Amino acid sequence: MIKLENIHKYYDSHHVLKGINISVAKGEVVSILGPSGSGKSTLLRCINFLEQPTSGIVEIGGKRVDVESAGKSDIFALRTSTGMVFQQYNLFKNLTVLQNVMIGLTSVKQLKKDEAKKKSMEILERVGLSDKLSHYPAQLSGGQQQRVGIARALALNPEVLLFDEPTSSLDPELVDEVLATIRAVADTGKTMFIVTHELNFAREISDRIIFMEDGVIIEEGTPEQLFTDPKMERTKQFLSKATRNN
Amino acid sequence: MENLLDIHFLIESFPAIVSRLPITIGIAVGSLILSLFIGVFTALIKIYKVPVLSVITSIYVSFIRGTPLLVQIYLVFYGIPKIIYYLQIEYGWLQSADVNSIAPEVYALLAFSINLGAYLSETIRSAIESVDRGQFEAAKAIGMKPTQMMLQIIFPQALAVAIPNLGNMFISTIKDTSLVFIIGVVDIMGQAKILGSRGLAFFEVYIAVSIVYWILCIAVERLLVKLEKRARRYERGIAS
Ligand SMILES: Nc1ncnc2c1ncn2[C@@H]1O[C@H](COP(=O)(O)OP(=O)(O)OP(=O)(O)O)[C@@H](O)[C@H]1O
Ligand SMILES: [Mg+2]
Repeated sequence: MIKLENIHKYYDSHHVLKGINISVAKGEVVSILGPSGSGKSTLLRCINFLEQPTSGIVEIGGKRVDVESAGKSDIFALRTSTGMVFQQYNLFKNLTVLQNVMIGLTSVKQLKKDEAKKKSMEILERVGLSDKLSHYPAQLSGGQQQRVGIARALALNPEVLLFDEPTSSLDPELVDEVLATIRAVADTGKTMFIVTHELNFAREISDRIIFMEDGVIIEEGTPEQLFTDPKMERTKQFLSKATRNN
Repeated sequence: MENLLDIHFLIESFPAIVSRLPITIGIAVGSLILSLFIGVFTALIKIYKVPVLSVITSIYVSFIRGTPLLVQIYLVFYGIPKIIYYLQIEYGWLQSADVNSIAPEVYALLAFSINLGAYLSETIRSAIESVDRGQFEAAKAIGMKPTQMMLQIIFPQALAVAIPNLGNMFISTIKDTSLVFIIGVVDIMGQAKILGSRGLAFFEVYIAVSIVYWILCIAVERLLVKLEKRARRYERGIAS
């Protein structure tokens, strides 16, 4: 169970998140849509403190953190109970595929090497990269890199996975393999937040869709509700425009 | 008949000069190691903008860059014993240190470490800053502690970027160690001077010592190329 209560974020005087409230049940897949600059990335990055939220409460798996008084151990707890998948993959360039997935287990969870290796190989098998264990990121296609990114995020067995436009940097022909991987992970019952511009994908995979604009959630509902009968004029406009562009 | 060179003397001077190579290499390698610590430490101070220390670092780097190495060697050689002596008399500190028994090699090592550290500081800082922000973020996102992130992810990538610069500075340092004879360290240059004045054959010994420096620097350059290849192996398109 993930809960965000009244999250605000300012960059100096720029008010980017204006009181975000979201509550997500275990296993729920939530997509966040909205125009560029609406604060989607900032919201995801406030959950694991890659950005320090200005005020509000983040609760993950029973751990409740008031962001204004969050200490190192609170931040550590939030980071280890979330896994993040980045638009630019951000694989550790100096490590092999296997090491990228293992490092969280050995360094953060302090597992024995053998055990970490075994687990990592299982996860890499799930994303279909068992044959690339000793490759470096520079030797992989974008789609393969992103699948390693997903494996790395899964390795610590987090409560929730955060995806920030996981396919936006990919060549069109590589998008499907990554979406298929995300779908397979969703099928295992993982809780997920997905920021994406892939509307069809969001519609098909999500249990709920959140529409954000200008730092606030202006509408949320099931994909059916949002795509067939949006209540807000802005949502309607965004969806029709984005669908046309797709 | 007048000879330009006493070839015999030149050749015979080699073994004695080469026998002092451990001193030259010891000072150069020793100060490289110490200065890497200084360089990393001061680079992190600058990157994290640590108050006070950041200003001290700027002054340190600026002073070292703005004064001759020769002067710095003298400052260390004459200054450190005075400071130790002062601390002993005024505060009763460092009582066990016997100022007169400190070998000149130690001062040389210190002076070169302080000097090289300042130059490395800037190189290391820019190398760390050249590492993609996404690498820091990914490390934080999986819960790595700052030290783990630095040691396992950031430094290895920064090193790959910095090796050519570090290497050039190290080679300069090897050559600069030829100054240490002025504080009484008998390195290869010191040995050459001693031999030269003994046989009144300076041209010969300086030719000999220059050949030793030259070969040493070529060897180090070769080593650096190998090291750089190794440090950058992850950037290339071939599976290992
Ligand atoms: N580090 C920062 N400093 C200052 N302002 C920032 C920073 N990061 C983001 N912003 C501002 O916050 C707002 C929200 O940015 P954010 O990246 O969260 O939007 P987004 O919804 O993810 O957009 P996109 O779809 O383009 O990725 C923007 O106006 C942006 O300019
Ligand atoms: Mg974004």
